[in-house]
Amino acid sequence: MSRAGAEVRVGAVAYHPRIVTIWEAFLGHFDREGVSTDYLLYSNYERLVEAVLDGDVEIGWNTNTAFLALEQRLGGEARILGMRDIDAQFATLIVTRRGEAFGEVGELAGKRLALGSRDSGHAAILPLHYLRDQGLDAASECELVRFDTDLGKHGDTGHSELRVICAVAEGSADAGALGEPTLAAFRADRVPAVADLEVVWRSPTYYHCNFTALPSLDGALAQRWQEALMSMSYDDEHMRHAMDLEGVKRWLPGDRAGYESLAAAMKEG
Amino acid sequence: MSTARRLEAGELELGGGLEVLVAAALEGMRAGARLEVITPSRSTALELPSWARAAGHEAVGERIPPGGPYAVKIERGPFARVLADALPGPGTAPQLRGSGELHTADLRSAQEVPAQVEAAAGFAPLGAVAERGAPAFRWSLNDRDALWADDVAELTEQASAAQWDASRDVPWEAVGGLPEFIERAVSQVMTFIAQNEYAALYVPAGFLADVNPAYPEMLMWLASHVHDEARHVEVFTKRSLIGGQPSYALASTELSLHTLLDERDFSGAALLLNVLGEGTFLDLLRFVEHHAPDAATRAAAALAHRDEVRHVHFGISHVRRRIATDPDQRAALIGAAERRAEKLTEMSGLSPLLTEGLTVMAAGSLQPAELASGAAAVRGLTETMEDNRIKRLRAAGFDHRDARHLSDLHTPNLM
Repeated sequence: MSRAGAEVRVGAVAYHPRIVTIWEAFLGHFDREGVSTDYLLYSNYERLVEAVLDGDVEIGWNTNTAFLALEQRLGGEARILGMRDIDAQFATLIVTRRGEAFGEVGELAGKRLALGSRDSGHAAILPLHYLRDQGLDAASECELVRFDTDLGKHGDTGHSELRVICAVAEGSADAGALGEPTLAAFRADRVPAVADLEVVWRSPTYYHCNFTALPSLDGALAQRWQEALMSMSYDDEHMRHAMDLEGVKRWLPGDRAGYESLAAAMKEG
Repeated sequence: MSTARRLEAGELELGGGLEVLVAAALEGMRAGARLEVITPSRSTALELPSWARAAGHEAVGERIPPGGPYAVKIERGPFARVLADALPGPGTAPQLRGSGELHTADLRSAQEVPAQVEAAAGFAPLGAVAERGAPAFRWSLNDRDALWADDVAELTEQASAAQWDASRDVPWEAVGGLPEFIERAVSQVMTFIAQNEYAALYVPAGFLADVNPAYPEMLMWLASHVHDEARHVEVFTKRSLIGGQPSYALASTELSLHTLLDERDFSGAALLLNVLGEGTFLDLLRFVEHHAPDAATRAAAALAHRDEVRHVHFGISHVRRRIATDPDQRAALIGAAERRAEKLTEMSGLSPLLTEGLTVMAAGSLQPAELASGAAAVRGLTETMEDNRIKRLRAAGFDHRDARHLSDLHTPNLM
């Protein structure tokens, strides 16, 4: 059956070839749940946001920064249809070389702080925001070492965070910021650079990605699609592999509560 | 709320072994139960919640006091790590033989070999519980009775124990100095045998990758069969080449072997190859061993004969079992032999080149008296082959009339 007539088109950013594997499996799930769905891939989140606004797709699978950009264009009326369990409890970590931990964030003043892509909420925007909250204006008080790789992908690829931890490990930075799940993945993959790094600081938790739709999306359709998403089970052998690739164990309905800090940070510019 | 189990991390960190300890502790707990990990490392304590989430659990509390020690409470998540039924309790382990050996025939302990297995099943070794969600295979040989021989595991055992080396176990230095006409005769006979051994390799190899992995004894058997034949191709090719006299790969032999490969039913192939073809070759190899003009030829024939005994035994054992469990198979198997014979009607007998080669080998000379006795030996071989073929067919479960009929249908090419 052609998907040209699918009821719902979801836009996502192709930050890795596995996105195709994930969405092909997800389409099978939505088919089984009776909500025919198709996916369109974009090379960057800015284009995805435009696609949602232009009605090229009904739903965008957005990072937190993309969601807020969309939210701003819609005057705060974007509709959240779901998020991963890890999106509801995201945090940023700061690592140093073993034995070089600091006690208070103020001790980072004058040091070299490595950050990931400047459009990444978790690897650049939010660490600066939370450090400022805790009394350190890192932009002026630290020497920022930025790794602006894969701009437009909002840090999804993890490449900039790999550069961050390598910079700290080899001594070209004194501390570095990266997402919690990214460090967990580096540990699981036995990435050599993290072996002698320690976590010295953890941010408050915030929200990350979500499925966003325009407020004009048909309510009944939105609800059917959301219910189908929520019914996806990690115990379903057809879905486990794709869910592992997507980093989700359970889908949550999502809400706005965890986006305030990033909204404030983006205003701070 | 239940009290949490405690786990002292000691000096272990995530990525450095702590994850193994915590995962093992959580694995043995029910969903919702809690584990408190105590660590002297603040860094580890800060990382544990995200590790727990990534592993499908939840961090439900933490204590990060200045100076430590630190504690993170993890609630076990609801997900099974492996999508499969829980592993059964410890089972009956296979028993060792008195000599301390662990035989393939004993791997299933008292478990029956399943009569049918799932065509889509994957490579789950005996005793393993298969996880759901694996890609589906499409094996075509999924019925025990269509494959089995009761002693297949024991034959596999014998095959492993009887391996030999065609480079080192044959006294190659013994070749040389033969009169040219004898060397040419030997080369022709060796080439003929090697040509047939190719087919004996391709036939089991053609079935090997169709066998369901739930029958590992069968896979081991066929793999040993293929490996044996590869060595036979090797040893007879080497014997032909080492004497320096080229010889012909005959078209009539190719025709016969081509029809052997046409048989796509496992039992039909077992009858045609193992019982009839390799059975007949047992007598040929014995003849070559007896009349070999040098020790290398003698050793090659003797070593190959040892393997062929196993292959013939398997064929007889399988066909006998197949007919006993499904009497309709008797007619089906005779049909396979008849179909093949119809394709070989133009073959009238063994190639003269081969008959002459065998005669010269047996004669050892071109003197009339010796040639006459060589020719008599070859006639004797033909009679022996026929007598023994009928005996093997009787052992495989055919009555005398059918055995004679099948023997008469057998290819003049011997295999």
